[in-house]
Amino acid sequence: MLGLDSGLLYAIFGAALAVLLAGIGSAISVGRVGQAAAGVVSEDPDKFGSTLILQALPGTQGIYGLLVGFLVLQRTGLIGGAPAALTVEQGLAFFFACLPIAIGGMVSAFAQGKTAISGVHLVAKRPEESGKAIIFAVMVETYAVLSLLMSILTLFGIQV
Amino acid sequence: MSDQYIYAVGRIRVMETRLLDAAKINRMAEAPDAEEAFKVLGETEYAAHLADFQDVNRFEEVLAAEQRRVYLELRKMLPDSALIDLFAYQFDYHNLKVLLKAARLKENRDDLLIPDVGNIPLEELVMAVSSGDYSQLPERMRTAAEKITADFQPYLVDLWLDRALYEELLAGAKRLRSAFLQGYFTALTDLLNIKTFIRVKRLKGSADFLAAALLPGGKLDLLNLLSLEDTLEEMAERLADTPYAQVVAEGLASYQQTETLTRYEKLVDNYLLDYIKQAKYTVIGFEPVVGYLLAKENELKLIRIIMVGKINQLPVAEIRERLRDVYV
Repeated sequence: MLGLDSGLLYAIFGAALAVLLAGIGSAISVGRVGQAAAGVVSEDPDKFGSTLILQALPGTQGIYGLLVGFLVLQRTGLIGGAPAALTVEQGLAFFFACLPIAIGGMVSAFAQGKTAISGVHLVAKRPEESGKAIIFAVMVETYAVLSLLMSILTLFGIQV
Repeated sequence: MSDQYIYAVGRIRVMETRLLDAAKINRMAEAPDAEEAFKVLGETEYAAHLADFQDVNRFEEVLAAEQRRVYLELRKMLPDSALIDLFAYQFDYHNLKVLLKAARLKENRDDLLIPDVGNIPLEELVMAVSSGDYSQLPERMRTAAEKITADFQPYLVDLWLDRALYEELLAGAKRLRSAFLQGYFTALTDLLNIKTFIRVKRLKGSADFLAAALLPGGKLDLLNLLSLEDTLEEMAERLADTPYAQVVAEGLASYQQTETLTRYEKLVDNYLLDYIKQAKYTVIGFEPVVGYLLAKENELKLIRIIMVGKINQLPVAEIRERLRDVYV
């Protein structure tokens, strides 16, 4: 099949999961916050700016997922070189390295989405407090960043 | 997580900021006369209606217009009508009561009808009552209407239709799988039943009549819990380990002194409003919509209390005494 080693297939599977799961979390959450923001803006168009920032926040997990997926492809030589001949163990190592951002990213995107919706409601009620609403949602970002960090550190630790 | 209400709740959060807050209500209550109190409404979202009804004595029309606006607005913004239908049933039942009684007394009481907000077009109800054919009405309503026409007694009109309405409300809350709504309607039913109990007791009604007058679906089994021979103190004692203990204790104490249930009714409204306030902390779900709708109903009630008080030149303290809490 395509002349790829099964080790490489595991690595690709991991990369796909990182992009997919983190992306699903972000897509759903950005969508939800967008609905809440549309509700607020339809009553009060001045709130567009601060609600837009809140909507964008849960989108970062998808980007982190893509970054990790990209790094896997690069480390395994799928882009920018010849595909490496990975053993099953090496392939699985890449797969596991992807899990933190795949799962941590998705879950933190959902959590951040909920916080951002609360933030949109806060902005609806007290527009002057939009900074605080953003900070609350940004706090959740910590855990997406930690997941990303873990995935990247592991990726670079794997010997190819 | 149910996503379908996220947009509506976003709008509700902005609409909540336009509800009258305690400060505005206070200003209305403290206004020197009805005209001044009415003017306060001009600074709120009622302003649009004030242009149509400038006369203080037409404040009821302003309130009706606002109620109509809110129901129609909420219907437009929600993905399905099940939730608003549930709260609009009361208007269908109210209209049917008016029509049935008017038909029997051969009077025209169209002034009491509430058009546009209910689920059933008024013409359909008028048609059903005038032809005596209720087959097009929802099942619970039809059964009640048929029972009423079979044996017409003015008090039975209210009794059967209220029963049907509260069955409808609880069934609707179950259909929506909402513990929040079930809790609300259960508490409402219980508190109304306690009031009915006191009234039947005062009129020295029979136990059979009481059993028929109590609404189904409450959490309390009043027939077994209380007896018509109980004194008011005994009643309060027996209800002491229910969630309504404080409402009952205070309400009955005031009833004993004043012979009216005004204070009890106020405490009931505040209790239910307190229950509803938990909706303020819901992020995803339809609870805030219910919260807003009931907050609006509460606001209409407050304005009515103030305007009636002002027009009848009641002292400020007396108006205040009757005022309920506010949602925001």
